[in-house]
Amino acid sequence: MTANFTLFLVVVFIGAIWWGWEWPYIAKLMPVYVAALPGLLLALWQLYRDASGWEKQRHEVPDKTIDMDETHGGIADKQLELRRTLIFFAWFIGAAAGIWLVGIVITLPLLVFLYAYVDGREKLLTSLAMGGVGYAVISGLFEYTLEMRWPAGLLFGY
Amino acid sequence: MEVSLLDAAVKGFANLLQLKVFAAMLVGVSIGTFTAVAPQGLGIPLVYAIMLPIVIKWEPVTGMALLIGASSVSAICAAYLPILFGIPGGAGSQATILDGYPMGKRGDARRALGASFMAGGMGALIGTFTLAAAIPLAKPLVYLMGSPELFVVVLWGLSMVAVLAGRRPVKGLIAAAFGLLLATMGQQEQSGIMRYVFDLTYLLDGISISIIALALFGIPAALDLALTRIGIEKQAAPLTGKLFDGVKDTLREWWLVVRCSFLGVWVGIVPGIGSQVVDWLAYGHAAQSSKDGGASFGQGDVRGVIAPESANDAKDGGDLVTTLLLGFPQGVSTALFIVALLAWGYLPGPEMIKRSPDIIYSVVWIQGISGIIGTLIGFGLANQLAKLAQVRYSIMVPVIFFFILTGAFSVTRDAADLLLVVGFGILGYFMRRFGYPRPAMILGLVLGSLMERYLYRSMMSYGFTWLARPAVVALLILATTSFFFAIRGRMRSAAREAEAVSGDYDG
Repeated sequence: MTANFTLFLVVVFIGAIWWGWEWPYIAKLMPVYVAALPGLLLALWQLYRDASGWEKQRHEVPDKTIDMDETHGGIADKQLELRRTLIFFAWFIGAAAGIWLVGIVITLPLLVFLYAYVDGREKLLTSLAMGGVGYAVISGLFEYTLEMRWPAGLLFGY
Repeated sequence: MEVSLLDAAVKGFANLLQLKVFAAMLVGVSIGTFTAVAPQGLGIPLVYAIMLPIVIKWEPVTGMALLIGASSVSAICAAYLPILFGIPGGAGSQATILDGYPMGKRGDARRALGASFMAGGMGALIGTFTLAAAIPLAKPLVYLMGSPELFVVVLWGLSMVAVLAGRRPVKGLIAAAFGLLLATMGQQEQSGIMRYVFDLTYLLDGISISIIALALFGIPAALDLALTRIGIEKQAAPLTGKLFDGVKDTLREWWLVVRCSFLGVWVGIVPGIGSQVVDWLAYGHAAQSSKDGGASFGQGDVRGVIAPESANDAKDGGDLVTTLLLGFPQGVSTALFIVALLAWGYLPGPEMIKRSPDIIYSVVWIQGISGIIGTLIGFGLANQLAKLAQVRYSIMVPVIFFFILTGAFSVTRDAADLLLVVGFGILGYFMRRFGYPRPAMILGLVLGSLMERYLYRSMMSYGFTWLARPAVVALLILATTSFFFAIRGRMRSAAREAEAVSGDYDG
């Protein structure tokens, strides 16, 4: 799987070089020569390491050096992890689609209520209160106080 | 017109004398406090990512008050989780567990918290004073810097990716290259050429860094909570003992606080050391320098709380020295702070010292004042804050969703914002899963446009002769030396670890 992700990056860098190759020198200096070409070479090297299992072998000796970013810990039951991950992204993508279709003022309070009630199994009253606070923030704080005008959704005018 | 630094310091303070600035600082302080106490997975990078699209539309000082207020307090209040639950409260508060939790279990939790707030507050003030003192020292250097020198400074900042990426330097460099590539999207400022726009009007100005940061850090943090369903189910240590005993302990150990605070400032200033080690360095120093040879450490010695907390809170001042005076970030939070500064029209680094020193002093004042407020909050609300640590995932996840989507959609209020946040959220998930450091990508993204601007100006003004300018050569030597020593230190530490492990296996 790691190799697949690295392959994705290889494709991105190749695409960037392909598109930028015909640009004048001043325009392609940064994207092509400074970013994409070195990026491609490094990604190809990493692809070799992923494919040959180099990193896995090295990590058989525990490495306690500092890491810039936390890595994915996950949970022990991989099937459960996959299910929860898919559900999580379904909520998120659903919410983004909801904003596009019916507007942010309706979608976000509804998302907060539904997530708390359905996925989080909070009490109905708690979930309703959370949705209400969500509505107060999006409408009262952002729209009314900060005068931020949200665009209407594709289906509704609000 | 240039102003004297004293005038700038006064003006910097005067900038804060507005109700909205003070209100923003209080909101920031509240958010920072909650972030420090709330269950794992939240952190200041996430807060910055969420708040960025909102605050960049505010007046600069008001926005800075919120951001700096949040980060300053978050470090001071980060001791709740280690002391009460025995789990890390953030990157710089891990060592606090070793003595803080045993103190909590034996009924001295309030004493440990008192020591941590006092040490943290003193550390934050020492960090702030160092930042203030560094400005007049840096000012003469500013006049030596033109575009070529600034390019080398930015390059130096970017080279640190290889060090900061820890055990994944290649992946770090790939992520940074990807960030640099994204930074070049849109119409090129210098030539007007459209790069990677694909005839989409939305991409004319490039992709918003706020959306990318929000998605890269926000989505995986929320996913973590949803996966592990963490709230803290562990029983908290009893909140007993006296806060004031901790204050007395800290005042008695004032010399340790001073030493560890300067250690923290040093870690903050020097590129490549990273916040993850600051508490361990201070803890190790406290144990080694104690008269009993550190025998009582790990069993609830209050010095084991004082040392890491003072160093961790002083580090923020050191971070800001490099960020504001040199213009390159030390981590994700400072990278995002630079994004905000750029959006407000300030170019952090020498140009900012030259043109807007009052704003730098405003940051210094905000940092100092929020440090004091954070300490007072810690003392005043110890009991109430302890309860916040038990907020459930079912409440946290929708709240994070809410702010990510609001933050992203508020950037241009275009449906494409939503598409981007989903896309980069998925990318952030995979980057984290496969060990590609996201901060490296953000560094590339933030420094990319600066690098291109300085490189272009250097080439246009001097051709390739800028490479022979004395200040450029001096900076290149400095950057190469610092890079070399950082890499060598890292390789040695890795070799020592490997030897120790193989020794364990052999044994």
